[in-house]
Amino acid sequence: MSLFGTNTGFGSAGTGVFGTATTDSHNPMKDVEVTSPPDDSISCLAFSPPTMPGNFLVGGSWANDVRCWEVQDNGQTVPKAQQMHTGPVLDVCWSDDGSKVFTASCDKTAKMWDLNSNQTIQIAQHEGPIKTIHWIKAPNYSCIMTGSWDKTLKFWDTRSPNPMMSLQMPERCYCADVVYPMAVVATAERGLIVYQLENQPSEFRRIDSPLKHQHRCVAIFKDKQSKPTGFALGSIEGRVAIHYINPPNPAKDNFTFKCHRSNGTNTATPQDIYAVNAISFHPVHGTLATVGSDGRFSFWDKDARTKLKTSEQLDQPITACCFNNNGNIFAYASSYDWSKGHEYYNPQKKNYIFLRNAAEELKPRNKK
Amino acid sequence: MGRKKKKQMKPWCWYCNRDFDDEKILIQHQKAKHFKCHICHKKLYTGPGLAIHCMQVHKETIDGVPNAIPGRTDIELEIYGMEGIPEKDMEERRRVLEQKTQENQKKRQNQDDSDEDDEDEEAGPSFQQPASTVPPQPAYAPMTQPGMAPVPAPGMPHGSYSGMPPMMPGVPPMMPGMPPVMPGMHPGMMPMSGMMPPTHGMPPMMPGMPPGIPPPMGHHPGLPHMAQALPTTTRPAMPATTVSTPQPSVSKPLFPSAGQVQQAGSGVAVSASAPPSAAPKPTFPAYNQSSTAAAANPSSTVAKPGTPVTSKPATLTTTSATSKLIHPDEDISLEELRAQLPRYQCKSPSAGQAHISSPPVAAMGGVLPPQQGIPAQQPGVRHPMQGPYGAPPQAVPGYVPGGMPPYGQAPPMVPPYQAAPPRPAIGMRPPVMSPGGRY
Repeated sequence: MSLFGTNTGFGSAGTGVFGTATTDSHNPMKDVEVTSPPDDSISCLAFSPPTMPGNFLVGGSWANDVRCWEVQDNGQTVPKAQQMHTGPVLDVCWSDDGSKVFTASCDKTAKMWDLNSNQTIQIAQHEGPIKTIHWIKAPNYSCIMTGSWDKTLKFWDTRSPNPMMSLQMPERCYCADVVYPMAVVATAERGLIVYQLENQPSEFRRIDSPLKHQHRCVAIFKDKQSKPTGFALGSIEGRVAIHYINPPNPAKDNFTFKCHRSNGTNTATPQDIYAVNAISFHPVHGTLATVGSDGRFSFWDKDARTKLKTSEQLDQPITACCFNNNGNIFAYASSYDWSKGHEYYNPQKKNYIFLRNAAEELKPRNKK
Repeated sequence: MGRKKKKQMKPWCWYCNRDFDDEKILIQHQKAKHFKCHICHKKLYTGPGLAIHCMQVHKETIDGVPNAIPGRTDIELEIYGMEGIPEKDMEERRRVLEQKTQENQKKRQNQDDSDEDDEDEEAGPSFQQPASTVPPQPAYAPMTQPGMAPVPAPGMPHGSYSGMPPMMPGVPPMMPGMPPVMPGMHPGMMPMSGMMPPTHGMPPMMPGMPPGIPPPMGHHPGLPHMAQALPTTTRPAMPATTVSTPQPSVSKPLFPSAGQVQQAGSGVAVSASAPPSAAPKPTFPAYNQSSTAAAANPSSTVAKPGTPVTSKPATLTTTSATSKLIHPDEDISLEELRAQLPRYQCKSPSAGQAHISSPPVAAMGGVLPPQQGIPAQQPGVRHPMQGPYGAPPQAVPGYVPGGMPPYGQAPPMVPPYQAAPPRPAIGMRPPVMSPGGRY
């Protein structure tokens, strides 16, 4: 297993060269810093699947690049390779066998990156920036699903330049997740659509949003039998909705909770409400992590309906997160997400990706 | 004394066996003596409520109910007033009371001047007031108001719940049998308050909503294509078929935070009715406008219902006295806002350009083609990559799982800007100044 040896050693020392000389608020949790992070905001992170040995992390950024690092068991990160798009990269995903990485970009294309040969080839084309990309592995087919701001969801066999299927969405795709045989897409104007992927992808149900604000991130969770059974949806209003597809008692089973807000008990000052930038479920425990514009990450147990932990505040928003395939590593990226507009963007500010040992902190709370 | 109804005895406290004239007084007693937090003195409503409060707020566990007699300290029993008392304890109490009266009677018989006692005895039972439902209600009344507010604030695209029926049919389902089932609410409330770390006062309101709100998730008869989409083969994971029970009237799930309430409601409702396509057009303001708006305080335009000017009401409304949304005014996503900037415009008209056709500006390497040999992706071959540009971005020494030459000897990933003066556009950090050359 890839347990980190020492959290202490690498945390602040990190790459040594930069930053800890000043204040430590860029890494208050003293987590391991990934070496050679991208030069602009990190939009997405993805760990390699269990089918290949070791842990490889890929991250896409607004600097148009997607980078790959190997994460070794002792916590060392080794930059491995990099590829470019001609526009900011918005999403990345791995193929199920770990040999390919798929990247989606504002340049309206998606590429397949063969890691062994280090070659890329374009596999998709949209009429607007592609916001999400997921690999679907079904018993009778495999394909790539791309969601774009051009309001279409397209499915691609990577060998052909034309999509296998194209589904129209009511609005621009903002986020999506796939756990076969279910796919969920959240769009602008609070749209929410569930697709079923058996035989071939088709729209299953349009759901009225449980949230009142713009959708920002979504993640599917599974039941005890490892079947997708619902999803967590985050909005820009510091709130996450847990929604089951077919619960026995929707009124009781579905709920929302507030998160990523500044001190609420002090009613003298208005509470600051931050966007939830990403949600990830722990692959083993089923507990979830949320990261927000407030620069914190939190771990939650949705079954016990309790919070497990909230981190200290980083000096930048946290824009992306993900767990590795066995749940031992939690990766999160600290970079500007534009939540305060253009004025607060500082191109000189360093962006970080941190790795944290997640084996213990995400254990579910024992239900009363 | 216990003539007709089972619970019809003088209210008594299960925790300490004291008698009271009135259930209201009994409840006040319980809150003050048994359900009061020893740390902050907050009065809760039940034993489990107190336990959860101590855990979440003070991170302390308590083993039993304070000031309770031995045997009656169970913190997990949900007792409120006279409700929730286990049946066997009720019977035991009745027996004890009967015994006492019998004893009294015996004594009286033995005594000569017992008339006064008799009168007192009989007068007692007749004072019983059910009144059990009275106290709880006021406690929950405050919940209803904010609860009602969001109901008319549907923003449901499908006019079926245009917020009209809302209140009436809306309310009962939201508080499903609240008064009668009060203790029942608590389990529903408490666990969820775990998700709302901040306030004490809030939890009662928030968690109150979800249980009662049967979101009409996807149960719209008006979308026939859904049904068609379900092939006849059974799908274990998505047992859709006849979807579940049709939802009653209540539309909008949401529980607003204290501030949002009506404004969010009206804004969303109106904007939702407008055709979605109308929105995107005006919401892509000129670049400058967005920047000024962003930092500016959003509280200005507040509820501008219907006019999808530059900003949709949805984002603005949450600025209230109690909360402020840290997000630019426009209702478009942060990525869309950012992608509008010239510096993030795509380097080449990628439309249809399959494969990597090394666009001139593409990657850093592009600047000094000859030396580097290769602009972006193409080669991916082992490439010495020494060039002045350092090893930058290129796809470096292949990817061979299992230990490799570290990323390109080179220096840092941070391409030192010193190299290559003529640097039209780098893709990494295009100097915002230079216009043109980017597209």
